[in-house]
Amino acid sequence: MAESSPQPKAAVAAESLTKRYGNLVAIEDLTFSVAPGEIVGFLGPNGAGKSTTMRILSGTMAGTSGRAYIWGESVALNPTESKRHMAYMPENNPLPEDLKVEEYLSLRARLKDVDPKEVADRVRKVMEDCDLVRRASGRLIGQLSKGFRQRVGIADALLAKPKVVILDEPTIGLDPHQILGIRDLIRSLRGEMAVLISSHILHEVEQVCDKVVIINRGRLVAQGKTEDLRRELLPDSVFHILSRASLSELSALCLKIEESSTIEKIGEVDGGWNRYQVTMPSQSPARETLAGSLIQAGIPLREIAEQHCGLEDIFIAATRRSPSERSRP
Amino acid sequence: MHHFRTLLWHELRTAFLTWSNWAAAALFLILVGTIHWFAILECSRAPQPWTPVEATFRLFWLPLLCVLPLLTMRSFAEERRQGTLSALLTTTASTAAIVWAKFLSAWITWVVFWLAFLPFPLLTAARLGTPSDTRLGDPATLWGGLCFIVVSGLLHVAIGILCSCLTRSATLAALLTFITLLGLTAAGGAIESLPIESWTWLGWLREPAAHLRTFGHLEDFASGILDSRPLILYLTGTFLCLGLSVIAVEGKE
Repeated sequence: MAESSPQPKAAVAAESLTKRYGNLVAIEDLTFSVAPGEIVGFLGPNGAGKSTTMRILSGTMAGTSGRAYIWGESVALNPTESKRHMAYMPENNPLPEDLKVEEYLSLRARLKDVDPKEVADRVRKVMEDCDLVRRASGRLIGQLSKGFRQRVGIADALLAKPKVVILDEPTIGLDPHQILGIRDLIRSLRGEMAVLISSHILHEVEQVCDKVVIINRGRLVAQGKTEDLRRELLPDSVFHILSRASLSELSALCLKIEESSTIEKIGEVDGGWNRYQVTMPSQSPARETLAGSLIQAGIPLREIAEQHCGLEDIFIAATRRSPSERSRP
Repeated sequence: MHHFRTLLWHELRTAFLTWSNWAAAALFLILVGTIHWFAILECSRAPQPWTPVEATFRLFWLPLLCVLPLLTMRSFAEERRQGTLSALLTTTASTAAIVWAKFLSAWITWVVFWLAFLPFPLLTAARLGTPSDTRLGDPATLWGGLCFIVVSGLLHVAIGILCSCLTRSATLAALLTFITLLGLTAAGGAIESLPIESWTWLGWLREPAAHLRTFGHLEDFASGILDSRPLILYLTGTFLCLGLSVIAVEGKE
């Protein structure tokens, strides 16, 4: 089992990680870190290099250059020690079809240096945690549904109480109930283990992760807390207003309260009501007074709402810009 | 060799439970049993310069080429195809331990197959022979032949493991093993049969060819001659193949 060793600054650290296949660059100069106990979302479009990065971090693939550390141990120079602190669930979660769940987990526990006396207890514990006891116990892995196979993969990852868990698309192919279950499970690891999780379900990542790392075409384009990235990548606040006022009337009022605001008409609704979009800097105090000012000025107003910029917007904004534009953390 | 024992135990258990190994065992026993049966029939018709046991061992290449590739083909190729090999490599188990565990498991299975052949001549001798009659087979030939299978099996299985490391397709691995074993078994005899003496520029081949004479090794073992040269040949070949297998697994993952 992962022994107690002095806590490093970063549970996972990638320093200028590069992987080339001949002339093809899979990842280039990738630098990021995951703090102990932190849950980090690792995002990027298809082919961005997420799985390659995760495979290098897990020690199953060698990088071309750069350094990778797991719990302070070099993945390349000290693979056994780094693997002792880490568990990795690959994208398609390959499992042997002809073993029973308990048999497989017991074997994996022994291979992960779990004390032989504790193997049975650990297997029972992770099976309970991953809700495998009731419906998967005693069954061959080959007979399990996709959801339960994913649970077996996660149970395997948690077996040896690693310091770092790397999960490549853990919720792929799962139904909403199963996703919810896995999300809660991952959330429960916060503070205990550092989790690096790649997923295409951005809503999922936003709900679970403390921080995100976004890569595009093998290069880092953004990393940080969602709020910080929102400020960095989406500096403007956008309001949608449904009003009977004219564009000029509304424009004059908005410019009065915020000089740099812009307004445009984006549609018409029956009965002379128009839909407008007002954009102003997120830092502007007018964000808080806009609604009050409109009412005070007697503008006929039916609806006003600030558009929420989710991780999806951040992801799109980040993957649109070139890697050189990103600000270093 | 971290976790070697855990992996070996797992591999042996898997080997015992895999249906394809049971099919291979059935094929092996049918092949060897048929060879032995026809050899007994031949001997019963007219006196032969060989015994049925000798005849069976002389045709050892038949089960070697037909059955052994079935035992080794899945070891790495199938695991790589399914992705379970990379999952195994994320644990603290060393690549060498994984290779050696798979090798030893396949070698033990191969030896067990041949041990399962033992009742054939023993039962035949018990039913048809008399204690002093060696026409059905000399016990020395039987045990010597088995020793040859055990020792040469090390290299043969190691070749199968290496071939399985080189591809993701179990079928291709079996084919590669078949071709390599065929070449190895036939090479010594083929080179020996060439008129090397008349080709002076090929004279240097004479000695290496003498070392590769697989059937000569079988005869030596069966007659109780324990020559260290074939032992060294098979052991060094085994270590070489397994070393290359470790490199292939680490390189390909």
